[in-house]
Amino acid sequence: MNQERFISLVKAEQEPLRRFLLGLCCGDDALADDIAQDALVRAYVASANFLGLSKFSTWLFRIAYNCYIDHCRKPGKDYASLESREALSVQSGDASDASFHYQQLYQALDRIPEKEKAAIVLFYFEDKSVKEISAILGIPAGTVKYHLSCGRGHLKEHISL
Amino acid sequence: MKDIEQYLRENKPVVKEDPTFLLETRHRLEAVEGIKGEVDRQSCRMRKALILALVFGLIVGVGVATLAYFFPVNPETVGDGLLDSARLFLQNYRSYLFLPIALLAIALGLVMTRKKGTAFI
Repeated sequence: MNQERFISLVKAEQEPLRRFLLGLCCGDDALADDIAQDALVRAYVASANFLGLSKFSTWLFRIAYNCYIDHCRKPGKDYASLESREALSVQSGDASDASFHYQQLYQALDRIPEKEKAAIVLFYFEDKSVKEISAILGIPAGTVKYHLSCGRGHLKEHISL
Repeated sequence: MKDIEQYLRENKPVVKEDPTFLLETRHRLEAVEGIKGEVDRQSCRMRKALILALVFGLIVGVGVATLAYFFPVNPETVGDGLLDSARLFLQNYRSYLFLPIALLAIALGLVMTRKKGTAFI
């Protein structure tokens, strides 16, 4: 796959990809964009291995999810807690209405297990089917449904509706 | 009361418009292309060097085997010099010469049939 073809495919997928990572990173858009860039480079390097057996978006999301997991496993990673990030944004005075609006959601997402968070983000924010989520996360469809159910339960505990 | 599913569907995070994102991606991909090109060039140089070494080894091996089989030295008339001792040694063990020659030929065959641009190591 040449660079132009890859860029044209990425153009259509960049917003959902960044939104997916934004959800996983609980609103840290700088970190989400960094991981997205890493994922795109990895995807480009591996693009010769993309056989078209799945959708391009599914393949790209899987790479992005693996990048996110790699980031989470990095020893001594500087991943500030949600509270400290909020404090920083308030101090800098650039806390937009949008980020304030999503504070409760991001705080709740920050408190649930990674797999549940990924399943919730893909299912509700990206409108992916259980089958697609199963391919992206590399787990059986039944386990995805289980994570969705548990995730909803856990989110209910942290979100006041 | 709104249930959690409705809440999640109504609160999809909004990604900030960032026109530099794709530009940055393009820059990174160009950097990757540069690295790939350099790796390919190095791989090509290594391939050429390896083929040259294998061909040279094969020619020397065949030459030595030819000498040992078709121009045998007479152990009674051979001198004490290093060259004569080497020739005598090769003649005594000439049947073993085919092993390294065969190995070289196999290695050369593998390298020649290998796809160009594939790293050897």
